[in-house]
Order: sequence, then structure tokens, then C-alpha cells
Amino acid sequence: MKVAGEAVLHAPLDRVWTALRDPAVLVTTIPGCERLVATGPDSYDMTVTAGVASIKGSYAGTVSLTDLPEPNTFLMKASGAGGPGTVSADVTVTLVEADDATRLRYDADAVVGGVIGGVGQRMLAGVAKKLAGEFFAAVDEVLTGARAVQPATVAPADEAGTSSMPMVYRDAVPGRVAARPGEPVSFILGAVFGAATALLGVLVGARTARTSRNTRTARRMG
Amino acid sequence: MTTRMMGEPVRRVEDRRLLTGNGRYLDDLGADAVEVAVLRSPHAHAKILDIDVTGALEVEGLLAIYTYEDLTGPLADPLPLLIPHPALTQGRTQYPLARDEVNYVGEAVAMVVAENRYLAEDAVERIVVSYQVLPPVVGIAAARAAEHLVHPDVPGNVAAHLVQEVGDAAAAIAAAPHRLELDLDVERSASTPLEGRGVLARWDTDAQRLRIWTSTQTSTGVRAAVAVKLGLDLGSVEVITPDVGGGFGVKIMHPWPEEVLVPMAARALGRPVKFTEDRREHFISSAHERGQQHHVEVGFDDEGRLLGLSVRFWHDHGAYIPYGLIVPIITSTQLLGPYKPGAYRVEFDSLYTNTVIVTPYRGAGRPQGVYAMERTMDAIAGYLGLDRAEVRERNFIQPEEMPYDHGLTFQDGRPLVYDSGDFPASLAKLKKLVGWDSWPDYQARARAEGRRVGIGLACYVEGTGVGPYEGGHVQVETTGKVKVATGLTSQGQGHQTAFAQIVADELGVPMSDIEVVTGDTRRFPYAVGTFASRAAVMSGSAIALAARAARTKILKVAAEALEAEADDLEIVEGRVRVKGSPGTEISLGTIAVLSNPLRYAFDEASKAATQFVVGHPDLPPVGEDDEPGIEGKDYYSPIGSTFANGMHAVIVETDPDTAEVKILRYCVVHDCGTLINPMIVAGQVHGGVAQGVGGALYERMAYDESGQLQNASFMDFLMPYASEVPASIEIDHLETPSPLNPLGIKGAGEAGVIPSAAVFAAAISDAEGFEITSMPISPSELFELRTARRAAGQQEGDRS
Repeated sequence: MKVAGEAVLHAPLDRVWTALRDPAVLVTTIPGCERLVATGPDSYDMTVTAGVASIKGSYAGTVSLTDLPEPNTFLMKASGAGGPGTVSADVTVTLVEADDATRLRYDADAVVGGVIGGVGQRMLAGVAKKLAGEFFAAVDEVLTGARAVQPATVAPADEAGTSSMPMVYRDAVPGRVAARPGEPVSFILGAVFGAATALLGVLVGARTARTSRNTRTARRMG
Repeated sequence: MTTRMMGEPVRRVEDRRLLTGNGRYLDDLGADAVEVAVLRSPHAHAKILDIDVTGALEVEGLLAIYTYEDLTGPLADPLPLLIPHPALTQGRTQYPLARDEVNYVGEAVAMVVAENRYLAEDAVERIVVSYQVLPPVVGIAAARAAEHLVHPDVPGNVAAHLVQEVGDAAAAIAAAPHRLELDLDVERSASTPLEGRGVLARWDTDAQRLRIWTSTQTSTGVRAAVAVKLGLDLGSVEVITPDVGGGFGVKIMHPWPEEVLVPMAARALGRPVKFTEDRREHFISSAHERGQQHHVEVGFDDEGRLLGLSVRFWHDHGAYIPYGLIVPIITSTQLLGPYKPGAYRVEFDSLYTNTVIVTPYRGAGRPQGVYAMERTMDAIAGYLGLDRAEVRERNFIQPEEMPYDHGLTFQDGRPLVYDSGDFPASLAKLKKLVGWDSWPDYQARARAEGRRVGIGLACYVEGTGVGPYEGGHVQVETTGKVKVATGLTSQGQGHQTAFAQIVADELGVPMSDIEVVTGDTRRFPYAVGTFASRAAVMSGSAIALAARAARTKILKVAAEALEAEADDLEIVEGRVRVKGSPGTEISLGTIAVLSNPLRYAFDEASKAATQFVVGHPDLPPVGEDDEPGIEGKDYYSPIGSTFANGMHAVIVETDPDTAEVKILRYCVVHDCGTLINPMIVAGQVHGGVAQGVGGALYERMAYDESGQLQNASFMDFLMPYASEVPASIEIDHLETPSPLNPLGIKGAGEAGVIPSAAVFAAAISDAEGFEITSMPISPSELFELRTARRAAGQQEGDRS
């Protein structure tokens, strides 16, 4: 599925560029974002709650950003999986200066699988565009000062109390972190950001740190 | 004399029960059963790196989670390749649960058993599978290009390559005065029964026996497969087919993964276990059909007579090929229809794609073949400027040429020999019914009014009643009631009515005294299944033979009791009497009592059969070649299929602006030999036509390039409603009895759907003035074709 769109953000290009790649901004603006953990430069694990029509669920996945050779252009790769399905998306984001503002264009190519792929597909492009609109509107609010950026980050505290990577920008797991700022976990499809949001925020893929890899723990009981 | 039931439009005896909500379908059973949900692949092609069920283990009510690693013995092997064929050199079937890789969206990866389906689905959502996604092969073009392979060890994605040739088609075409080539496409559709798949299993720990109810078209097939997979004796497994809410072919496929996994879980857990497929699962994890590409080369003379026909086609069979080559073999043979092709060559590849498997769907490869042949007939007529009916007539096999041997091998492995049929008479009836000869005037008048109307005509021949056999059992109880059993299953065909009609005539008993049971291995353990329009032919014939055996016994016992010759007896309304002396009679119930010599009486009636009352002291109570009771059992196993035929015509009107296709008239001439029940046959034709309308104008499987089925719901998959199916389907029958069975009958179940793609393509072509070569066709596609054609015409105009 291909989704493309544009948004105008009311700030100079360099500020927009910085904001879009600032996890503190992202965590505030991505609809449905429950968890955002930096796993390296410009790469994150995240959990997003989203729904397309009646198909709602939580998705876990990864997002990474890379600069592209074209000026003011970066590529976001996102992939994720959850009960309702899987999404992987390549989103190219390009910024162009426009007077006092910045015009942003996104082109996303997504593969949507599982229930949302089969049942929600017809609505996906529309929902994705709507979410992208919400996301960019939220970013615009941050840029114009109408929305506060959540300062922080919660350093992951390990048993020893030392702080190290990864930086946790939000974690909805009770008792672990910063409370969510009252924003409803919306009906959002996707979530990552920008266009990815648009595209389904569903992203993710890699497993979160809590689950083991290569453990085929299938088991029969009873 | 009892009214003859054969040929009467008897109302279906099952309808009151079914229409008042008293049917018992799979999900109505097993109220105490725990339930299953299946984790299915979200990817069309991927390696499975890891399955982590940790998160699911906390779900309350969870009983078990199974992945491939939990399968043992034969269950760990791939599912059966049901119908091997020498040309099927690269047969691959799936594991009950995916082992290392998945090959279509929907392939079963893990099965969860929980107290109910809700909890089972909750657990499924918590299982995390890591996949390495591989490039998928979607569609025939990608499969042929073979840039990527579905199975790395299957070169070119080709499972089978088969050629059949009679004469030298290439030479005949080359030498013909005229030649044409056509390229034709048909997309995928599916059976789409309203009730999906479902299976319930109960393990009796005390008796060490397994009882399975499954929504299938073959209870004996499932029984044999489960016995093998679970390492049980056949005698320890019972399979019962309850009411089935539609099959249309998809449920002849067996065993589905769930049909072996659910019994496995029932035995392991000691609890009844049930799986009920939901709608989305049916779209992505059952079966589809129809997808083929054809290239036709034909040579013909000035009169439009075929001299040589060569067809090359590509068949998309999906990710695995458990049902073998049945569909493309049917296409390649039944393509010939009522015609003599001259020299004929047919060659096909059966191709793997990363999509749902393909197994027969009502019509089973015939709609595609008929479409290829009939579009060819239309092309010849158009090329020579001849009437389309005329060209067909000139190519017909004539009645006096029956039986007609095509020199090919049919889907049952036997020679393709038509047993009977009168094609010229059928066409004459159809022309009269639709008003073929006055069509040009009608069309001219309509065109003058600015309307686009078109007529299409399509003929088919359908091999029905394929072997190997079916059996029937008829028993007269001491109440006089008649119990009938046959092993094949029912999915709404009205078997309880039709088979009772046969028995009513054979035994002279009222329909109301006859009870018919199908698809229950406890009642009849030897059977094949319900497919290929075979139930009436096969079980109908077997039941007739069984009833005749019972009748012989009845007359023997009655002759003794009435001190008359058996030849002088007749059975009327459940009583045996001496012809011409109505006072001398005995009821069937009494005969049943007398047929079973008793030591112990248990009621007034049975006293008559006790040892001091009946029998010659010098003879054994049960004679050497005799058996107690009035029972008849027999089997019917024909030398080959019996070939029904039919011809359809449709008149359509296309909207000049929106390109919507409206059906003005739909006419059917149908020959299925002797009719058992014309009302049931008409219903079969109506249902087939309705499905054909869907297949021709609405339904398709919208796979995207990554192998995701985008219309896996009734919101997006367009089945025709009553509003899209013609309110009146005009039917005329011709009855050319089959010489192959005792009743002269031929199958009727699939007929209605077979010529749809052909007849609609022809009618729309006629209305639009250009050829339709890809089916189904939607209004938007027709609109695009018009636009493209206008643009091409424009360019042509610019050049000139």
C-alpha cells in the first residue's frame, strides 16, 4: 500500500528537522504511543495502541531513521507486529522551506498483514492520512509552543541504580514510568511517526527486551 | 397404485426443519466442548525464526498450545497428497502446523485450546512469532516468471506439466484455411459457503474410541485420514457429518489441519474440543479456485468447423497441491464441451504461488475450460461473419455418434467417453426459449434507442457421477418404517427427499415412512464423498439397487406368508398384496417381523415370529443363503462418468455511462438425464446461476503484491444478493437418460455455474462491440476498457 501526503509546519526547516528526530517530541506527538525506548542513535523500540475500525490492539516494533543523500530528506523504516496484524513501512520524508514555514512531504510504502490487512485494508489509507494529519498537527503545536514537550525521559533504572542506555521516553507499564499526559490512547492506527504514523503505527517488530529470542517455548499443558 | 415419485416435484422433506431454525450445524453441537483458535501466518512467504508462547501462558482458561514441535508420529509429516498423478512430480503439502516456513497468509502456525474461543483468541494474540520475510510469488505472471520460488526445490514453480494430444493439432492448425489465437484470463474466486469449516472431536477414554463431527463433504475420507494421522484403527474412529451450511467443493478437501489437530487435542486433553472457522479464516485458510491463463490456437474451415485446436494454459494452485491435478485435468478435458475439435492438443502447467490452496469449487475447472472454448467459438463466428449458434451447431457431436470417445483421459483416470446427449435438440430448445432468431431485430431497435444490449450463448458438457463407487443400505423395520443410509454427505442438496423418492418407488412405501441418513460412518462405513455432481448418480443408483435387494426379500417372505408366488405380488402403500385380490395382503412391518425368527417375543407383533408359531421343523429357521431381517445393501460402481450437458443464454444491458451490467434475461436448457425431482434440479440450476453471476461479475480474490488478501470479508468480497441475480431464470429440460446406471440419471449439482464466465463475456462483448477476454469483469474495468478503446480509436483517427 502506498500513502503520500503533505503537511505545513509553522517553523523554519532546521527546527522542524530537529523536532521530528527528537524522541521527546515524538513521544508527545505520536498518537497512541505507549512506550518509546531508544535502542541506538535514531532507532527506537516502541509500543503503540491503535485501531482501524473495530480492529484494535497493541503493536510492538522498531523504528529507525536514516539520512538520505537528497537534501533535507530522511528515511524512516518501521516494522511492527501485534495481535491484529503486522506492518512494515518505508517512509521517505522530505522537507522544503516555504516562507516562514516548512512544507513536509511523506511517501510511504507499507505492507500490512494479518487481520487489518484483510479486513481493514480499504480504510487503511484514509485512516493513515488522518493519523498523519493528527501527528503533524501535534508536532506543529510543539513547534509553535501550543503543546509542551514532555521533558523527560526516564532513565532506566537497573537494579544497581546505574543509568545507561536505553533511554526510556515513555513506558506505560504501570509502576515503571512516567505517567502518560492525559492524552487518550486514541484510535490510531499507527503510530510511529510522521508518515509512519500515518501508516499504521503499528509497527514494530522486534521483540521487546523482556522476551527472549530463540526460545521456542511452545508447550503443551494438561 | 402408489403415485410414482420419480420425476415428481416433491417438496423437500428437510426444509421445514432447516427453515425453522432446527438444523444442527457443527457449531450447534458440543455445548460442553472447549474451543480452539489458530494462530495464522500474517506473511505470504517467510521463515519462522522463533515462536514464543510465554506471554500466552498467563491467559486464564488456557488448556494447551501446540506448535509443530508438539506433533508426533504421522502428525509431524506433511498432510496427505490426496490424489497422486504421474505428472505431479513436484507435489508439496503443508504440515498441520507450519514447521520452518509459511507459504501463504493464513497458514496455521500454532493452535491454542482454551475454555472458550474468546480466551483462545486472547492467547493467540499473545504468542509472538519472529519471521524472516521472503519475497512472495503472487499471481500466475509472477509464478511463470519464477524470479522467486515458492518452494526452493521446485524449479520454475511448476508442480506438474501435462500434455494430452489427439491427432497432430499443430499440423492441422497450420494446414487450416483460417487460424485465430486468443489469450484469456480468469481470476480466482471461492466456494464461500455461509457455514465455514468446523470440527468437533470427543475421545471416549473408557472405550478408547474417537468420535468426530465435521463440516465435510466426505466423512469416510476424514475418518481414514484421522485414523492414519492418530495411529488408530479405522474401527476406533467414527465420523459424523451434521447439517452442513454449504460446501460447493471446498469441503471435499480433507483433512484440513484442524481436522487432525482437534481430535489430537481431544485425545490428549480428555475433553471434547471444537474448532469453528470464522469468516476471515475461511477466506485465508480454506481454498480458492478458478485462477487460470489460457492461450488458444485454433484452425477452422470456411464453415467454421474446427480442424485443429491447441490450448496452452497455466493453472494457479496456490502454495500446496493436496488435491492433485483434478482441476486442471477437468479444464483440459471438459473444455471440449459438445464439440468435435478436430486434432486437439492441450498442455498445462500447474503452478505454485504464495496464496491459499486451490481445490475444486462447484464447476471445478469447467468454467475456465468452457470460457476458453466458447470464446473461441464466438471468435470464429465473428471472424467468418457467421451466426454464433450456427458455428456451434456445425461442430456438435451428433446424437447418433454416442457414445463418443474423445481419445483423452478424464479426471477419474478413465477414457473421456460421452455416454449420451442430444446437443442439436438442446440448442434448438435454447434458441426457441431465448428468441435467438429475433435477437438481431431486438438489438437493432434497442440500439436505435441508444441502449446497449447484448446476447451471449454458451454450451458445456459435464462429466458427473465419477467413481469409484457408493453404497446404499435399506432396512425395513418391524414398524414398517424404512431406514435408508448411504455414506456420502449432504450439504443442502435435498438428498433426504430425492433418495426417499427412489426408495418409495422401488419399495412401494409412502415417502413419510422413509428416513434417509447420509455421511455417518456408523451407518455406512464405505463411501467416497459428495463432489463432481455425483450423489444422485452414485448413491441414488446404489440405494435403488439396495432397495431392489430388500424388495426381493420382502416378496420372498410375503410369498411364504400369503402362500402365493412372489411374481404375483405387488407392494402398494407399504402393504404387500396379491395382484388382483386386494383382500390378501400383509404389511411390510409384519414381513419384517416374520423375516427374523425369534425365540423371545417382546410385544404382540413379535409373537408371530416365535419358534412355536412359524417355520418348518425340517428346515433351518434361517436358510443357507438367507439372513434375518429385511435389509438390502448394494454398491454402484460405474465403468465411467456419465455426461450431462446444458446451454445457457443471457441478455444483458450495459449502462452507457456507468458501465454497470444489468441482466435482462437468463435462459437455461439443461439435460441431466432422467429427473428424480424437477424442483430440486431447478433449485440447483438457480443456485449455480447465482454463483455464476457472482463469479462473472463480482467476485475475485484481491491479493496485493505482497500476498495479502485485501477483501477477506463480506464487506469487500462481493457476493451477489438477490438483487443481482435474475429474478426469473427460465429453464427448459431435455432428458436423455444415461445408459450407465439403473435410473438413467446424470448429475445436476454444478451445472448452473459452469458456463457463466463464457456467457457473460459473450453478452457483454455483443453489447459493447469489443471482445471481453478477462473475467470476472466489474463496471470499472468495463469503463476502463471503453476508455482505452476510445483512446485507441482516437489515435487511429489521428493517423488517418
